[in-house]
Amino acid sequence: MTYDRASTNGSAIVVQEVSKWFGSVVAVNDVSLEVSPGITGLLGPNGAGKTTLLYMIAGLSKCSKGAITVLGEPTRDNPGLYKRVGFMPEHETIYPFLTGRQLVELAAKMHGLPSISEPVDRAIAMVGMEDAQNRSLGGYSRGMRQRMRLAATLVHDPDVLILDEPLNGTDPRQRIEFQDTMEQLASEGCTILISSHILEEVETLAERILLMISGKLAASGDFRAIRAKLDEHAYQVRIVVDSPRDMAAAIVGMDSIDSVSVGEDGSILVLSRNVAELQTSLPRMAKDNGIRLTRMEPMDESLESLFEYMVER
Amino acid sequence: MIPVLKLSLRQMAGVRRLLIVSLLALLPVALALVTRLFASPDDAESGEFVTGIIDAILVAGILPLVTMALATASFGNEVEDKTLSYIMLKPVSRWKIALPKMVAPIIIAGPLVVVSGVAAAYIGVDQIRALPAEADYVADTSILTTPLAVGVALLVGVVAYSAVFTWAGLITTRALSFAIVYVFLWEGAISSLMSGVRYLSVRGYTLAVMHGLDETGLESMSDRVIEFPAAIGGAILVTVVFFCLTVWRLKKMDVP
Repeated sequence: MTYDRASTNGSAIVVQEVSKWFGSVVAVNDVSLEVSPGITGLLGPNGAGKTTLLYMIAGLSKCSKGAITVLGEPTRDNPGLYKRVGFMPEHETIYPFLTGRQLVELAAKMHGLPSISEPVDRAIAMVGMEDAQNRSLGGYSRGMRQRMRLAATLVHDPDVLILDEPLNGTDPRQRIEFQDTMEQLASEGCTILISSHILEEVETLAERILLMISGKLAASGDFRAIRAKLDEHAYQVRIVVDSPRDMAAAIVGMDSIDSVSVGEDGSILVLSRNVAELQTSLPRMAKDNGIRLTRMEPMDESLESLFEYMVER
Repeated sequence: MIPVLKLSLRQMAGVRRLLIVSLLALLPVALALVTRLFASPDDAESGEFVTGIIDAILVAGILPLVTMALATASFGNEVEDKTLSYIMLKPVSRWKIALPKMVAPIIIAGPLVVVSGVAAAYIGVDQIRALPAEADYVADTSILTTPLAVGVALLVGVVAYSAVFTWAGLITTRALSFAIVYVFLWEGAISSLMSGVRYLSVRGYTLAVMHGLDETGLESMSDRVIEFPAAIGGAILVTVVFFCLTVWRLKKMDVP
């Protein structure tokens, strides 16, 4: 492939005020977002509208309202764009009568690649399926099917890769390999949009997140940055010191502290609405009170807590 | 187009489906053989044969049944199991997907139906030619004229039905029900009540092409068929229109 990925500077995917409704049910509600090269996670619970949005981005489904472009072109009724875009849908049904290699070869042929063997070999090697490539897809495990479907999606070396729940059915080792593959593609300038309802999957993988809840885009950006904006939601911070009761008494006087408790293991659990202030004040307070500060760590600095909080809002 | 055609043929070539359509296709041949072997010479009038085997069984039954079983599955299976997205996500013009999907059932149903029709017609004509009362007919025609006319007309029918049923498989998950209603209600019941419906009926086109190619051998049909050019034009129109509708649907549909 000779596509100049450098030319995809800026946003490879642009979604402008997009809505999708099925009768009276609104699946996606006035979503605007942009996705740049690198790995972006599309998060949300089941039924949030992630798949519907991805289908519209991939051009498989028509927007009821709004517009979507990928690499500057509209995706709907524009099959030529698929030379530069790869989309792996969530559903895992696949032609059971084909071997894994035949599935990837079919994709390569339909993409009109000038040579078939080399890109097919490369794609299968990327997902580590060389040994099972000549077995029937009908006999594959769920994880193997996922990997071979990914190989078929990668075979034409797309500039934009859209993956809907790609880690369904994969084991921890396969997830690490998948992460390595995605990071390699991202380092080459590929724009990757990965959806998931499992936060830990994306937490270690995506540089940016788009959080969808009930058809709306609830948040976007670096997940820690999003978290910091939610200043009305208190952070839980664990503090380890050599004199917990004295330290707890000092902390409780701060304005941004909602609660302080000392755990059975002697660590202090603080619920703070301003972690930055806590981080700067704590060492000084410890020094002023002659207390040795061993550790300070946020307890809920994870996508899961952010996700739960956003759903509750 | 070739990869989609190969894929479609493999999708359709399930053992159970092939077995069923092959048995269906064998039915007219079996009936013709039974008639040939066990019917008395007095029963074997050409009119009865044409009405009984070619029209009522082959054209009205086996031709649409075999074609619908294959053509409705051409897209129907992929819509149902959501594998259609795999081919729709490729940089291929939609007509290059629709055409092989329409051709695949023709490749399988065509030979089955045509061979069945030609064989059944040959057996029937051979029986008729043995009757002393049909001496004029024997003198005027070759033994192959009627079977060839039947074969060509059935092929025309397979092509037109494939276009209609391939489209049906794309627009509804109940394509088989749609096809059965079309064949037995529209082409069967309604066209027998309103002769004008034959101009909008694949069965009508098939019978008219058959008759147009062998007016002598199939004379008994002459009061029930439309004009030969109208039949040819109608069959082409139906095929082209439903192919275009399939392409349009592929462009506009939300892929499951």
